[in-house]
Amino acid sequence: MREYALYTGCVAPTREIGYEMSVRKVMEALGVELKQVDDFNCCMPACLVHSVDYTRGLALTSRNLCIAEELGLPLFTLCSSCFGNLSRAKHLLDEYPDIRRDVNEILGEVDKGYKGEAQVEHVVTVLHNEITLDGLRGRITEPLRGINAAPFYGCHIFLPQKYAGFDDPEFPDKLDALIGVTGAQNVDYHEKTSCCIGCGSFFGEVSEGASVLLAETILDSAKEGGADCIVTTCPFCIMQLELGQLRLREKGKEYDLPIIHYVDLLGLSMGMEPEELGMDLRRIDTELLLEKIGG
Amino acid sequence: MVSHRELLEGLLSEEKLGFCNNCGSCTASCPMARVIPEVYNPRSLLQRVNLDFDRLIEGEELWLCAWCYRCTERCPQGIQPTEVFLLTRNFASERGNIPDNPRTIMRRIVETGRSNPYNEFIDEYREENGLPPIGPTISQKALEEQRRIMGEDFIRRIEG
Repeated sequence: MREYALYTGCVAPTREIGYEMSVRKVMEALGVELKQVDDFNCCMPACLVHSVDYTRGLALTSRNLCIAEELGLPLFTLCSSCFGNLSRAKHLLDEYPDIRRDVNEILGEVDKGYKGEAQVEHVVTVLHNEITLDGLRGRITEPLRGINAAPFYGCHIFLPQKYAGFDDPEFPDKLDALIGVTGAQNVDYHEKTSCCIGCGSFFGEVSEGASVLLAETILDSAKEGGADCIVTTCPFCIMQLELGQLRLREKGKEYDLPIIHYVDLLGLSMGMEPEELGMDLRRIDTELLLEKIGG
Repeated sequence: MVSHRELLEGLLSEEKLGFCNNCGSCTASCPMARVIPEVYNPRSLLQRVNLDFDRLIEGEELWLCAWCYRCTERCPQGIQPTEVFLLTRNFASERGNIPDNPRTIMRRIVETGRSNPYNEFIDEYREENGLPPIGPTISQKALEEQRRIMGEDFIRRIEG
């Protein structure tokens, strides 16, 4: 039994409840124990909080690393931005002694200090590196033959390489490999390694508009590649690509392209019911996809 | 304690900014520049960090970086534009130049410890679906420690 400290972040438990259900269900079945921790704070997105005060921002993020050290458990993040932000803090504190000194001076005010032992993981890094592809293969009871799944990597799960350390920064292929395990057919398409602009979408009208424009390009590309669904690593990407579709619907453009997380695909291939995986809670109906899988 | 200016000079020195070859890898890699090229261009932004700092931190362009790190990954000179922009925003924030939307989200973080809004329907919805409640804020202990780590200056900048 592997144990981790569950770090839910802000997006999953408030706006992507179906995804949180899916993670809990699949991890339980895989024998991964997720310890509920009530003491964490927000990861403090660098694009917001570290933009106001770089050092105090890092201290706020690192408070979570200290709690993981106290528990002696690796952090298990649900959101790629939490993963990226916590990995970044760890990298900067590990590589720059003066930053660690300054951050620890601030953390000392609340009787905490970063020791350099915290480990930061993500749903997908745990599945790929800990459970492994072979370990997953043995759990697949209902291979998803006949559906075309378009991998969408997002950003912070693999960029920049020195923070994330998970996949090749130019030609990532680990999500492709994970999708392959479920029996689904991978779609190779132009926007596979594009960005959902989630982290830049909340700065006002201009950036919101930008995120819809890029969503349109991503959705067009996946459709053109014959995708039955887009498979992400991050709840923020799910939200952006779903909300993007709702906006584009207002403009008369219909995609009806389900956006799901890799754990949803994995859960289905392990024989779980869509409702157990929260797939009936998606903003874009997954029924056609599920029919295709059932047939 | 080192100041932000020293951090900027040390971790990402102005001499280093001068290494920019103006090759445009950053702009070519940037998702924001791809869809709104007339508004956002990281290559020109980077030049302005070096040459037009005071005017740059008055505007909102600096806040359009979506923090994806593609430019940082690809810059052949290792300049790390993403980190440069984050640091540069510190100077804008110091002068009170934080656009309304990021300010609203950060006020929410100060008050509740979360970037996303909470309402009671969230916990009802969670319960219906078999998930534990999250409550309106992070734990009181976490919220209190967060306030102390932020410090008065930080909170004053957010509250504006």
